[in-house]
Amino acid sequence: MLIRPVSNDYRVIGFYLGRIFLVVAGASLLPLAWSAIAREWHPFGSFLLMIGLFAFLGVMGIGLDPEETKLNWSHGMVVVALTWLIVPIVGAVPLLLSGHFAYPIDALFDALSGLTTTGLSLLGDVDHLASSLNFWRHMLQFLGGQGIILAALSIFAGTGGITLYFGEARDERILPSVTSTARFIWAVSVVHLIFGVAALGIVGWLVLGFDPDRALFHGLMTFFAGFDTGGFSPQSTSVGYYHSAIFEAFTAVLMVAGAMSFGVHYALWRGRRRAVFANLETRTIMATFGFTMVLTLVGLAATGLFSSAMGLTRQGFFQVLSAHTGTGFATVSSAELAQWGGLAFGGIAIAMALGGMGSSTAGGVKSLRIGLTIKAVMNQIRQVLLPEHAVVGTAYYQTGRKHLTPNLIQSVMIISLLYVALYLLGAGVGMAYGIPLQDALFESVSASANVGLSVGVTSPSMPFLLKAVYMVQMWAGRLEFVAIFSLLGFLYASVRGK
Amino acid sequence: MRRAVLFASMVTFLLLPATALATEETTVQELVNNSVAFDGLQVSVRGELVGDYGYRNDGWMWTQLNGDSYVNAPLREEGPASGGNTGIGVRMPVELAGDLDPPGRYRSRGPVVHVVGTWKYHDVERQGESYLEVESFTVIEPGRPLEQGPNWLVIVGGVVLVGAAALAWRLQSDE
Repeated sequence: MLIRPVSNDYRVIGFYLGRIFLVVAGASLLPLAWSAIAREWHPFGSFLLMIGLFAFLGVMGIGLDPEETKLNWSHGMVVVALTWLIVPIVGAVPLLLSGHFAYPIDALFDALSGLTTTGLSLLGDVDHLASSLNFWRHMLQFLGGQGIILAALSIFAGTGGITLYFGEARDERILPSVTSTARFIWAVSVVHLIFGVAALGIVGWLVLGFDPDRALFHGLMTFFAGFDTGGFSPQSTSVGYYHSAIFEAFTAVLMVAGAMSFGVHYALWRGRRRAVFANLETRTIMATFGFTMVLTLVGLAATGLFSSAMGLTRQGFFQVLSAHTGTGFATVSSAELAQWGGLAFGGIAIAMALGGMGSSTAGGVKSLRIGLTIKAVMNQIRQVLLPEHAVVGTAYYQTGRKHLTPNLIQSVMIISLLYVALYLLGAGVGMAYGIPLQDALFESVSASANVGLSVGVTSPSMPFLLKAVYMVQMWAGRLEFVAIFSLLGFLYASVRGK
Repeated sequence: MRRAVLFASMVTFLLLPATALATEETTVQELVNNSVAFDGLQVSVRGELVGDYGYRNDGWMWTQLNGDSYVNAPLREEGPASGGNTGIGVRMPVELAGDLDPPGRYRSRGPVVHVVGTWKYHDVERQGESYLEVESFTVIEPGRPLEQGPNWLVIVGGVVLVGAAALAWRLQSDE
């Protein structure tokens, strides 16, 4: 029998949402301070309004004061799904008030794209956008990449913190407690921030010849979007703006770091290099990256668009890496990407669909699921070939020795199939609007796998329904479905439960 | 008389700069959409310089040339939000760049220029980058500052909400 939620269930959910909104309100003081320092008073007002909204919602949520504050699994998942809906809605306020969007839904699209680290954008005239608004867009990617819930968990864990942690599409706890795991993830990110911004800033200043303050600005923005595999850029021509192989190389390092699971980061921090290379995810992602890279390079060579092997390799490598890590940076225009047909298109699209490692800032099916699927298939083949009573090993290594159980295989298969369905959904809607199959599929995979590369389909003039579908894809792809199904189930139980 | 006209025509033809004869008038949009077709051609395009002026040690200055609707109707000057920017990378010798007005950003509209240069598509020397190598340019419209004052209604709304949240917090704490 379906049980209708009682008053305390709603109050618990509201209470935790309130806590999270207060944390986001606190984080939003950063763009407010930025706008004040830069004397950008128009965005300053919008940030103040946004903070007011978050703070008001937060205090109201906490004021619900539930009798029992313990979160069960369902509550946790609903909190996660709603957080990832409401934060972009309120976070879109400064973007909407900037006047850079043709329609209100476009501002919401960008906020959701930022938070889910997708990087598709409907923003008009980014080249004249206020620096504080650019900072906010990129900070949304940082918050979303790290996980807003994770940010909140670093401050408060409370009972049920583990549910919130797993709800945000993380499947491994690196340290014994959720709070210490959350703090470790922030520590890794801050170290990367310091070194990443310094490296990119120095390149911008000394190699690219930018003014020091602008070099630092570009370094910070590229760090946020690179390490969190987001893909926004302060300039309309993305990383192609910099025309620099050194800048691209540093950005590539950040993209790889962002696509690595925090479990692998932990192993590296502890100097366990052998563990890193024994990891099923590491092996899988290296193999799939090599495969998609070869596919793309062969495809590009066949197009005859490049007259030098060096040019083909540099451009092909960056685009494949950006696609596989789910970042969405590009050094070529959307118009050119659309011309990369055949194998090159296949290579980029497959790289996007596969995605980075689990428990990272990347999207897509994730290499752990790919690795486990391949292992399960191989085991099946071995089982058939070996004598009837032979025992086939099911062990694999992922931050420790683990076993491939039927339940695990089932959940891996279900999530992978859901991703495929999501990719097809967007492609189908795109095709219904007359977009060619190749372009519709590319854009759909890009949205669902939170990548952000575009062949030009995403624009303010695209149909409302397509915008809405891409937004659902970004949301579902980032949360890996479970939290969203829980929210739908909770809503259904609220209406039809007894 | 016919000889004189013929002679005058020939002199005019010979005196015309070779570049003017080969130059193809186009747009940034065309260069982006048909990059291959313009490879190695001398082109002439109009647009706004935006972003940064990157003066590099190798004697080149890099920046971005936008050729979108915002060049004619800037967003900050009541132009409509009509989608993303369309821009290309351009480089020119540092001595040619001279003393340009600040590039287009939040606080400034960059100089609108008419540039003549060679379109380099997937340039071998720069490992596959595409850009316009500028040989000459004319400033059509100088850069100018852009202003955007505070929106007081929004600020007051924000203050009211923050105040309401603080008050509600205080009341809850008292309870």
